[in-house]
Amino acid sequence: MTQTVKKQAVAPVKKKKIASLDRRKARAGWFFVLPFVVGFALIYLPIIFTSFKVSFMTMEQGTRTEMFVGWKNYSDALTGSADFLQTLLVGLKEIAFDIPAILLFSLFVAVILNQKMVGRAVFRAIFFLPVVVSTGMMEGILSTSYSFSGEGLDLGAGESAAETVKTNLALEKLLQDIFANLGFGEGLVEYIVSAVESISDIVNRSGVQILIFLAALQSISPAIYESCEIDGATSWETFWKITFPMVSPMILVNGVYTIIDNFTTDSNSVMEVINSTYGSSGGKYVSAAMGWMYFLVVLLIVGLVALIFSAYVFYQRRD
Amino acid sequence: MTNETQTTPVVMRESKNKIRVEFERTALKERLKEKFLSTYFLKNTVWYIFRLFLLIGIAFVVIQPFITMIIQSIKDPVDYRDSTVVNVPRNVSLLIYKAIFTDGAYLKFFFKSLGLSLGVAVLQTLSCCLVGYGLAKFKFRGAKLIFFFVILTLVVPHGTLQAAIYYYFSKLNLLNSIVPLLLLSATALAFKNGLYIFLLRQFFRGVPDELEESAYLDGANTFRTFVQVILPISVPMMITVFLFSFCWQWTDDFYLNLFFISTPKPEFMAFITQKELTSLVVTATQAGVAFETAERYAFGLMACIPLIILFLFCQKYLVQGIERSGIVG
Repeated sequence: MTQTVKKQAVAPVKKKKIASLDRRKARAGWFFVLPFVVGFALIYLPIIFTSFKVSFMTMEQGTRTEMFVGWKNYSDALTGSADFLQTLLVGLKEIAFDIPAILLFSLFVAVILNQKMVGRAVFRAIFFLPVVVSTGMMEGILSTSYSFSGEGLDLGAGESAAETVKTNLALEKLLQDIFANLGFGEGLVEYIVSAVESISDIVNRSGVQILIFLAALQSISPAIYESCEIDGATSWETFWKITFPMVSPMILVNGVYTIIDNFTTDSNSVMEVINSTYGSSGGKYVSAAMGWMYFLVVLLIVGLVALIFSAYVFYQRRD
Repeated sequence: MTNETQTTPVVMRESKNKIRVEFERTALKERLKEKFLSTYFLKNTVWYIFRLFLLIGIAFVVIQPFITMIIQSIKDPVDYRDSTVVNVPRNVSLLIYKAIFTDGAYLKFFFKSLGLSLGVAVLQTLSCCLVGYGLAKFKFRGAKLIFFFVILTLVVPHGTLQAAIYYYFSKLNLLNSIVPLLLLSATALAFKNGLYIFLLRQFFRGVPDELEESAYLDGANTFRTFVQVILPISVPMMITVFLFSFCWQWTDDFYLNLFFISTPKPEFMAFITQKELTSLVVTATQAGVAFETAERYAFGLMACIPLIILFLFCQKYLVQGIERSGIVG
């Protein structure tokens, strides 16, 4: 006997929507970058916007009101008296030589400072000094000083610490004095002095990079080196097969940082032009326009270099 | 056939913790020859000597300004008027340094700067670690854009944005306090924080995923994994970031001059050079212009020395080989 069973309305089971693992991880990612996003939106964007707005304005003659002039400041910057484009090209040529030199030198020094030796802590502290000296108050102390080689008051105003370290504290003069008394020829002395000066320049600009490489080298566990040694690898092979790949993410960081640092320190010729234009009367608008164009160019260069480097960087990730 | 290679060791004396044994050894001369006349040892010695000279040479280039600063500031005032004394002081006196402690109120400057720099450095390290980790390990829409903004904050120097920064914080009425600095540090927007974020992102990308996955398997959420698994192996990097931000805040005069506009300036290390060493005014006028420079050198050295001590202290933590245990095979 069949009985028709009335189909009871089944209450629809509410399916709880659990986000997929990917989506949960994405949310966690937003949580981690939250401080920067909040700060960027609330603090940095208004500041950039103000500065950007300034580059489109100028002050009217006579009155002190500012008026909108469109792209006039930008065209003035490109065609004006300060040879903006010229200095930019010169700056580009400089970095082509400096970047590899600084990167190789700082990697070399970091590898040496990573080895166990007598007085390692002292040497590390010495190579840490350029970081301390390069910014802030030390620049001021080292740049307006009496030159103690007996030449009188030497106000090196406007020079950066790296340059004044060379000139005012008379390394060049010291070397020349030493070698002159030893009776070397003029040409040889000049060559040695210029070589030492370029070494001094590179060393004083690699403080940050050396420390970054040093920290990266420390995170390589010694077990890897031991197993290499057991397998009979020479130290040259170990360096190229183990150390260099594991440090290569930092090569990208240091490369990008060196370029940015080179282009945006106050002693860079383009930055000097920007700063001096800022100081001149009514110049702060053109200076802002110059600045924004310049930073765009720097961003492009950095992006290009980063793309080239990233092709060679090794990450220990499965993807 | 018995193989008479060596006699077995003979126990001479035995106590609870020690055993004295006599056994056959190769002769002393042979042992020494083997150890010190081998190519391994000689190659290493040549490398060590070469390395030492190389380091000393490069270190000299770095340290030369500091040697000049030290020498010029410990000269006795008599030597300043004597024009034959240039690089080697004939009389040594520490009176400038003594005056810095008494007139210059060095300790007040020291502690105030210490508080500010510590706060700023800790905030920057923590926020940059968080942001760096988020950018490194999580794929979410907008990650690339945020990274672009990070590089943007690094490229545009704050010197150019000076006026805009000042205007923004004066509108919020936060000038003449340390709040702007703390705010910028907590949101990873302070001096060169883009570099720290980039650095930490690269470092975290180099950490293998298996570590975190094993933590997730054990039921930890992402934040707990971050704190308990990732941070301990990134101690060298965090120490480096902390050192950079501490040192740059300690010697910073740009932000302090920007945010503290009312005189008298507060007692932060960057302003110590403006302190008048009243007890030395008479000596200064007698000794000439060079003495003023010597005073500034002394100020500079007194400002740098705490940083060097801090660095030497942090050396303990910059130790190689924090094992990435937990990954087998």
